[in-house]
Amino acid sequence: MARNLGEAAKKFLLLGQCVPTVKQNAAKIRVKRLELDENLLMYFRKDEFYYCHDPQKMCKTGDIVLIQALPQKLTKLITHEVKEVVYDFGDITDPVSGKKVAKDRYREDIDREAELYGKLKSTFDYNRAPSRGWQDGKKDFTSKPTYTKFHVFDKNDPYAI
Amino acid sequence: MLRRVACNIVQSRGIKHTVNIKWVRPEYVPAYKPEKSGDLEGMPPIPESALGIDYALTEEIKEHLFSCLFIFSVAWLTAQIRYLQDTMDKFPRNSKMKQLVQERIDRRKKLLKFLRQYDYKKFEWLLEKLNIEYKAHPESHHKLSRKESLRKLTEMHCEDIRKKKLDDYRNLLESQQGPYLKQKLEALTFIRSEQIDLQMPVTVTEQDIKKVEQMLAEWTIKDQMKQQAQKRKKIIAIDLN
Repeated sequence: MARNLGEAAKKFLLLGQCVPTVKQNAAKIRVKRLELDENLLMYFRKDEFYYCHDPQKMCKTGDIVLIQALPQKLTKLITHEVKEVVYDFGDITDPVSGKKVAKDRYREDIDREAELYGKLKSTFDYNRAPSRGWQDGKKDFTSKPTYTKFHVFDKNDPYAI
Repeated sequence: MLRRVACNIVQSRGIKHTVNIKWVRPEYVPAYKPEKSGDLEGMPPIPESALGIDYALTEEIKEHLFSCLFIFSVAWLTAQIRYLQDTMDKFPRNSKMKQLVQERIDRRKKLLKFLRQYDYKKFEWLLEKLNIEYKAHPESHHKLSRKESLRKLTEMHCEDIRKKKLDDYRNLLESQQGPYLKQKLEALTFIRSEQIDLQMPVTVTEQDIKKVEQMLAEWTIKDQMKQQAQKRKKIIAIDLN
């Protein structure tokens, strides 16, 4: 009974992180789980990976998303769909005050400090900055997994290290 | 019996690859080189005006120093890395310097990794400004081997074959769609006219016929585009030859 309930809960909604994948029409989501070692009576981390249907390309690498099991498998791999992006990666909002945060400081404070020291034109400005993804595939190679270069191909793959 | 089985095993070992794959080992590139560290440009020449205490106390430097130490440290490390890379090219056997560059490259990568987590917009802006490439670490670090590389190449070859066969089959089926739709359209119109003539209950509606007509129109457009693409491919192939 308990097992059935657990499996049903598993299928309802899951919270996971988007990880880089080669698949173009699906998002790969890592769901962190704990597994009980019966000999040691300790829980150990065990990750589960799900390929999710995401036609609007809502989630990007690193985002924390909610996924739900599809009533029917879409393909052999794709079993879930992305419902909602809960937390954007690298764009943190303080849940108490609702302000944007960079590391341990409010972005407002950082801007204010820069203004006090004398803001230059070349300084980074949050209001003028384009949204995430404008360097994807140009200088930021994190959307696909990198691998050790194993052959000399005609076309050089930037994801081969 | 046993001997025969043993013979078979021995013989199966001697089977040569039927797939013509030639593996080329990638050339070793030292980790301090710009193509590995991700530096897209070298150290720019330093103007004389940018030296000395006067420059160190300018507004620009002050602002950068205090506004964000994180960015400042990445920029500072980048300058050091580029300077050391230039020197390493002149003295490649200097092991102490090699160690220094490697340490700085690793530290910068770590800082960039954290910056990416804290503030993605700033991370991208910094990559653009400093002209650095950022690549995440691969999932596993292991020594490159011939066997593994050949396995990967064979897998890729098999995947290509599978894809080609599937594409061919899809093309074959799609080419048969047009004549079938024409036939279906004729049949449906004939059935409808006959049912009306004989005053029987009409089972084929006009909507059904319109649907088939629409499908046929879509198919003809697709088919024309495919044929044009094939023609272009042929012309390119002739030009190349």
